[in-house]
Amino acid sequence: MLDVRAHRRRRLSAYQIVQITLGVVFGGYLLWRLFDLFFAHRVYGPETWVQFALSGVVLGSVYAIIAIGYTLVYGILFMINFAHGDIMMIGCFGGYFVFEALKAIPAGTASNPDLKLLDAQPVLAVVLAFAVGISIAALSGFYLEKIAYRPLRGAPRLVPLISAIGASIFLENAAQLLFGAQRRDYANPAAIERGAGWTIPVGNASVVLTYTGVLTLVLSVLLMVALYLLVKQTRLGRAMRAVAENKPVAELMGIDVDGVISRTFIISGALAGAAGVMWGIHLGLVYYFVGFIPGIKAFTAAVLGGIGNIPGAMLGGLFLGVVEALGPAILGLNFQLKDVIAFGILVLVLIFRPTGILGEVLSEDKV
Amino acid sequence: MKTRIRNGANAGIVFGIVTIFLILIGFTGTAAELISKLIHAGSLARSLGMTEGMFSLLLFMAVLGILAGWYGGRQLRDLPDTWSSVLVRSTLAGAVHGLLVGIVVYVIGTLNANGVKMTTYLPQLLPAAIKQLLFGMEPFPAVVFYLILLTVMGTAGGALGRVLGRGAWRHRFAEGWRRRWESLQHLPSVQWVAGHRWSRFAFFGIIILLIVLLPLVLGQYWNYTLGTIGIYVLLGLGLNIVVGLAGLLDLGYVAFFAIGAYTVALLTAPQPHQLNWNFWATVPFAIILAAIAGILLGIPVLRMRGDYLAIVTLGFGQIIAILLKSDIMTPFTGGPKGVSGVGGPTLFGRGFTDVHFVYLIALSVLLVIFVTRRLQNSRIGRAWEAMREDENVARANGINVLTTKLMAFSTGAAFAGLGGLLFAARNQFTGPEDHNLMVSINVLAVLIVGGMGSIPGVIAGAFALKGLPEVLRELEDYRVLAFGALLVVMMILRPNGLWPTSRRKLDIKAEDNAPPDPEAASSTKGAQ
Amino acid sequence: MTTAIETRQLLKRFGGLLAIDRVDLVIPEHSIFSVIGPNGAGKTTFYNCITGFYTPDGGDILFFDESVVGLTPDRITRLGIARTYQNIRLFSSMSTLENILVGQHSRLHANLADAVFRTPRARAEEKHAVSEARSLLTFVGLAGLGDQVARNLPYGAQRRLEIARALASKPKLLLLDEPTAGMNPHETRDMMDFIRKLRDELEITILLIEHDMRVVMGISERIAVLDYGAKIAEGSPAEIQGNPRVVEAYLGRGDASTSRRRRKE
Repeated sequence: MLDVRAHRRRRLSAYQIVQITLGVVFGGYLLWRLFDLFFAHRVYGPETWVQFALSGVVLGSVYAIIAIGYTLVYGILFMINFAHGDIMMIGCFGGYFVFEALKAIPAGTASNPDLKLLDAQPVLAVVLAFAVGISIAALSGFYLEKIAYRPLRGAPRLVPLISAIGASIFLENAAQLLFGAQRRDYANPAAIERGAGWTIPVGNASVVLTYTGVLTLVLSVLLMVALYLLVKQTRLGRAMRAVAENKPVAELMGIDVDGVISRTFIISGALAGAAGVMWGIHLGLVYYFVGFIPGIKAFTAAVLGGIGNIPGAMLGGLFLGVVEALGPAILGLNFQLKDVIAFGILVLVLIFRPTGILGEVLSEDKV
Repeated sequence: MKTRIRNGANAGIVFGIVTIFLILIGFTGTAAELISKLIHAGSLARSLGMTEGMFSLLLFMAVLGILAGWYGGRQLRDLPDTWSSVLVRSTLAGAVHGLLVGIVVYVIGTLNANGVKMTTYLPQLLPAAIKQLLFGMEPFPAVVFYLILLTVMGTAGGALGRVLGRGAWRHRFAEGWRRRWESLQHLPSVQWVAGHRWSRFAFFGIIILLIVLLPLVLGQYWNYTLGTIGIYVLLGLGLNIVVGLAGLLDLGYVAFFAIGAYTVALLTAPQPHQLNWNFWATVPFAIILAAIAGILLGIPVLRMRGDYLAIVTLGFGQIIAILLKSDIMTPFTGGPKGVSGVGGPTLFGRGFTDVHFVYLIALSVLLVIFVTRRLQNSRIGRAWEAMREDENVARANGINVLTTKLMAFSTGAAFAGLGGLLFAARNQFTGPEDHNLMVSINVLAVLIVGGMGSIPGVIAGAFALKGLPEVLRELEDYRVLAFGALLVVMMILRPNGLWPTSRRKLDIKAEDNAPPDPEAASSTKGAQ
Repeated sequence: MTTAIETRQLLKRFGGLLAIDRVDLVIPEHSIFSVIGPNGAGKTTFYNCITGFYTPDGGDILFFDESVVGLTPDRITRLGIARTYQNIRLFSSMSTLENILVGQHSRLHANLADAVFRTPRARAEEKHAVSEARSLLTFVGLAGLGDQVARNLPYGAQRRLEIARALASKPKLLLLDEPTAGMNPHETRDMMDFIRKLRDELEITILLIEHDMRVVMGISERIAVLDYGAKIAEGSPAEIQGNPRVVEAYLGRGDASTSRRRRKE
C-alpha cells in the first residue's frame, strides 16, 4: 500500500527540458545583472531608479485599463479582441479633437486677450475630452461587436479571430486615410502641460512627478475600482459572470446573452477610450497606429495576470509597466529594444505559466 | 407604418455614414476618376455645365443612392412586400441618406469658404476635391441638390430592387445557369473528354504553355507583377500548411520570409560582409535556415492555445522588425537601409532577366504545389488536419502533436524562405521595410480569400489580391483598408473562401448509396 | 487470466475536490467491464487518467503490467488503448475514410520525406491502410460511405465511425464513453450486439461508461460503481443490482447533485 508511489516515474518531456534550460539561462543572466547593478558597478543612482519606476507605474496603469478590456471580452467570448487597441486609438483621437476644437475657441480676458478656451477652462477641457473619447470608443466597441463578431457566434475559434484581425486592420487604415499618417501633437491645456510637475527630492538629486502622470494614475485607479464594483455588485456584473460561465444556462435563466455581450463590449470600449485619452495626455502623440503597441502590451498584461481575471489584469498591467521601464536598464539592453521586452515577457509567461500570475478565470470546458 | 419608417431611416443612416466615410477618405474622388477613365463623358459633362470629374462623381453618388434605396426597400420578413411599402421605405432611406450627406457637405463647404484649412485634420479634403464635392455650387444649393438627387435615386433603387432583386427571379436565374452547367457536364463529348486520362495532361500542358509564353509577350512591368504574384502564391502555400492544414494561426510568418531574403542578401551582396557567394549555392542555405527558424519559433509556442499563438507570433514578427531596424544589428544586416547589390542567379554565365525570373518563380510554385499535394494526401497531412479539427482527439488517436506542429511550422517556413530568397534576388535588394507586419497580413488575406487548405484557392487569392490592385492602380491607397474589410466580410459570408477545399475521394463508389442502417439514418440528431 | 488494465490507489484532485478517490480496479483481458455511477461521479475523469490527458496525483495505472502514468496520450494510444467520447468528437470536416486513416496514424510510418517522394514503401503502406480502412467501414456497417464528410453522417453512423476510428489503431483495450447515449431502444440493442461482436471477433477488452442500466446489465461481465470519485461497489450485474449502497447512490440522494460539488477532501 505504501510503496505505490514508487511505481510513478518522473519523465521529463522535451518541453520541460526546454523550460528548464531557458529558465536557468535567463535567471542566471538576470541575477548576474542585478548583482552588477546594485553591488558591483552601480551605473544608475537611486533617483534614476525612482524615476523609471514612477513612469513605469503610470504607464502600467494605462496598460491595466486596456488589459481589463481584453480580459472582460476574453472571459465572456473566449476570443482575443484584436481590434481593442484600435478602439483605444479612436478614443485617443476623440480627446485630441476636443482639445483642438477648444484651442480654436477664443476666451480672451482683459489681462490675456489671446487666451483660448482650452487654457482658460482646463478642467472642462479634460472632462470633455474624456467624455468624448470614452463615448466614441464605447460606441465603436458596440458596433465592432455587432458588425464583426456577432454574426460569427458559434463558429470555429479561428473565424472570429481572423475577423478581429480584419477589423483591426480596417480601423487602423480608416484612421490613416481620414486623418493622415503623420504623428500629431496632443495639445494639453497649459495647466497640465507635459513634463511639468512637482519636484520631489530623492537622495542628492530629485525626480519630477508630472501632473499628467498623477492625473493618469488617479483616473486609472478610480476606473479600476468602479469596474470592480460593477462586476461584483451590480445585476449587470452578475449577468456578465453568468454568461462567462455558461451561455446556454444563462440564457435559460432569462439573461439576454446578446445584450450582456453588447454591454461588455461597451464597457471594454469605454475603458479603452479612457486609456486612449490618458495615453494622449500623458505621452502626447496621436496617430493611426497609436493603439497597436499598447494593445499588444495590454494583452500581454492580461495574459500575465491570468486572462479572464480582472484583478489579474490590473496587476499584470502595473507589473508590465514597471518591468518595461526598468527592464532595459536591468538587462543592459539598448533602449531601442524596449518593446522587445514586453514581447519577451509574453513569450516567457506563456512558456512557464500560461495561466498567469493569479490564474485564469475561465470555465473549464472552454479551455 | 412605424416599422416602415424605422427600417427606411435605418437604411438611410447606414448608407449616410458609409457615404460620408467614403467622402472623408477621399474615395469618392478616386471613384470619380476611375469612372471618368471608363466612360470618357467629357463632352456630355460639359454640355451639362459640369467638369468631367463632377459628372463622374454625380454618377458615383447616383449609384450609391440607388444602392441605399435598394437596401432600404429590401424584402423583410415582418413587412409586406407591396409597392407602397417598398417605395415608402426606399424613398425615406434616400432622403435620410441625402440629408446626412448634405449636412456634411454643407459643413465642409462652409468651413472651406470661411478659410479653414481642412487638410490639417482631414488631409483628403483638398480644395479641388471640395469644389468637386459641391459640384461648383455654394454650400446651401449643394445640400438641396444632394437631398433631391439621393431621394430620387433612393426611390429608383427601391423600384429597381422590387423588379429585379426579389427571390423568385434571382432563384430562377441561378437555377437556370446551374442546370445549363449540369447539362453541359452530361454531354457525351464533355464526359468523354473529362473521363479521358489525357485530358488532365492536356489541361496541365495548356497551363505550362501559358506560363512559358505569357512572360514573352508581357512587358517588364507586368512580368514584375506576375513575379510578385508568384511569390505570394509561394508564401500563401506555405502559410496554407501552417494555418489552413494545421490550424495554427501564425501572424509572424514574415519572419521566415525575412530569413530567406536576408540569407541570400548577406551571402551574395558585397556589403556588409563581402561574401559574394553564388546565388545557387545560397538557395539550400536559405531554405534550410528558414525551416530551422520555423522549428525554433515553434518550440516555445507549441503548447499555446490557438489564439495565444496568433498574438505571440505577431510579437515575434515585431521583434524581428525591431531588430532589423535597430542599431545593434546594423553591422550584421545593414540596419534600416537594408542590403543592396544582392546577387541574382546566373545560368550559363548569363544573368536573369524579368522573363527568366518569372520562369524561375513559376518553377518554384509548381514544385511547392507538388510538395503540398503530396503532403496533404499523406499520413502527415491527415495528422495536420486532424489536429486542426480537434487537437485532443488527435492526440488520443496517437498523433504526437508536438512533432506534428513542428513539421507544419518548418515546412511552411521553408516555403516562405524560398519566397524570400526569390524576392531578394529579383529585387537585388532587401531591407526592413520589405518585411513588416503587412506582409503577414497580405499573405493571410490571400489565404482567407482563396480558401484555407485549398491550392487553387491560394493561387486565385494571390491573383485577386496582388494582381487586381496592379490593374486598378488608382485604388492603391485603399487596398489595405479593403483587405481588412475583406477579412471580416469573408469570415461572415464565406468562411471557407471563394474556392473551398474539396475532399479527396478514396472510397469506391458504392452501388447502392442507401445508408446501411435505415433506423440510424432517421435517428434523432438533436440528441447530443 | 491476464489483466488488461489495473489501477492501484488511483487519485486525482481538482483543487479541493477529489475527482478520483483511491480507486483500485482490475480489469481482466477480453472482458466487458462497466464503470457506472451518478453524474459527476468521476467516470470521465477516470478515462482521462487512463488515456493520459490527466496526470494522476497518486497511485498507478498498469496496462498489461506496464505503468502508463506520465506518458503522453499519443504514447498511450500507441501502446494499445483507444477511446470514444460521450459527445461524439469526429474530425468533422474530413471524410469518413480519412477519419479512420487518422485512427491508423500510430501504426503507419510515413514521414515527411516518404510523403514528398512517395517512396515505394510509403505507397504500399498507404494502399494497405486504405484497404484496411475500407474493411473497417464494412465491419461497422458503413460500407460505401467512405467519401462522405463525417459531419454529414446521421447520428448513429457517427457513433459507429467513432468506434471504427478507435479500432483503427488496433487497440487491446477500448474505452467507450456512453456509446448508446441519444439512441432509441432499437439502436441501443444493435449497439449492444455490436459491442459484443467487437469483443468476440477482435478479441479486445472493453471498458464501458454507460448510463442506460439495461445496456450495463445486459452486456457487462463485471461492473464497478463510482460515487464521489470512490469505488463503492464491484461485482457481477446481479450483485450490483442487489447492492444497497448502489441503490442509495442512485436513488437515495436525489437532491444531492447540488451539494456534491461542495464536498471537500
